[in-house]
Amino acid sequence: MHLMPAAAQQADLPVDTADVTLKIRTALEISGPILFFTDKNILNLEANVTADLNEKYSLIVGGGYSDYSYSQYNYSFMADGLFFKAGADRNLLRPEMAEGTYWAGAGLRYGVSRFAAETPTLKHDNYWGSVPSSIPRDNYWCHYLEVSGGFKAELFRNFSIGWMINIRKMIYAGGTRELRPIYFPGYGNGGSTFAYSINYFISYNIPYKKIKVLIYPEPPEEPDEEDTGQQSASPQVGRQGIGR
Amino acid sequence: MMKKTTRLIFFTVSVSFALLMQSCTPGSCFEETTAFVKAGLFLDTTKKLSAPDSLTMFGAGRDTSRIYSKSRNITTALIPLDASAENCSLVLRINGISDTISFFYTSSLHMLSKECGYTYYHQIEIPVYTTNIIDTITITKSSITTRSEENIRIYY
Repeated sequence: MHLMPAAAQQADLPVDTADVTLKIRTALEISGPILFFTDKNILNLEANVTADLNEKYSLIVGGGYSDYSYSQYNYSFMADGLFFKAGADRNLLRPEMAEGTYWAGAGLRYGVSRFAAETPTLKHDNYWGSVPSSIPRDNYWCHYLEVSGGFKAELFRNFSIGWMINIRKMIYAGGTRELRPIYFPGYGNGGSTFAYSINYFISYNIPYKKIKVLIYPEPPEEPDEEDTGQQSASPQVGRQGIGR
Repeated sequence: MMKKTTRLIFFTVSVSFALLMQSCTPGSCFEETTAFVKAGLFLDTTKKLSAPDSLTMFGAGRDTSRIYSKSRNITTALIPLDASAENCSLVLRINGISDTISFFYTSSLHMLSKECGYTYYHQIEIPVYTTNIIDTITITKSSITTRSEENIRIYY
């Protein structure tokens, strides 16, 4: 049997309970359709469903459709297809702070994209002249991991908005390395090691269960450097003095 | 706790804006976009890399369009291949003496980047050449890419 100091034992004991409503959230990504009105070359439609497992963890499944076209002086490119992802999110806010309305956390997802891509026109210029060519439409697979972090807030009853920053790492890209598509629907830029995106969501939340969560006392915050700056200055001076 | 959360939110919002700004920056191509045959020029007597006093190079029958024209201090000549054909010939004039080199190769498309687009890589066979000033030509790397690596050695 271990003996613990009374203060330490007290710190581990719950001080209160909080009612947490577990919800199923159906979310729509809104920046894709909005950006489409300013840039007709890219359309991203995305939606997801999140189900709370408890006050911290939730499961997420999502998917969408992406249609991308790009053109510059020496080639044009088109890709369109579907993507699906599934994973888990963790709410980093304490239950008494989240109050069932706020969410600030991070998540990990596995994504799969199935799409078709083609390069209808391309040309290569050098000393000998211009060589026109094209790459016919073909189907590709892409598998990737996505790490997300963001914030959500319930503005009205059962109605939330939020944003997520996503960093993606490709783990499998179909096709040959030499002719890898420049864009993968659901993933992003095919040429870079990591792909980034920001999503803005609106969601409708369906409460399905209430649970009681024990509230533990917050661990004492470590003092900031600026708070202790004056205190730590004199011992340093003292040590310097001793060194001399 | 609140202080930490505020910091977290501030940090993520800052990152968002930074990424948003980055996504608005148009990309430019800074890569080499032609896969040249990189030919090291070696003096046959010393077997050392040596720039000829004068180097002229042009495609056979394209005398008016020169790749090099009496150029000096060239130790590695960059030779473009014709991607629309399976062979091409070039005239190489070293110190006023001309030779013709014929390259035989296969070409394949290669995606460089979104900014630069596509180029052709080549796989060359042993070239055929005249020997007025050239002594021998050896292949050091038959795969012709945009990487900066020697492909052939011309001993003159």
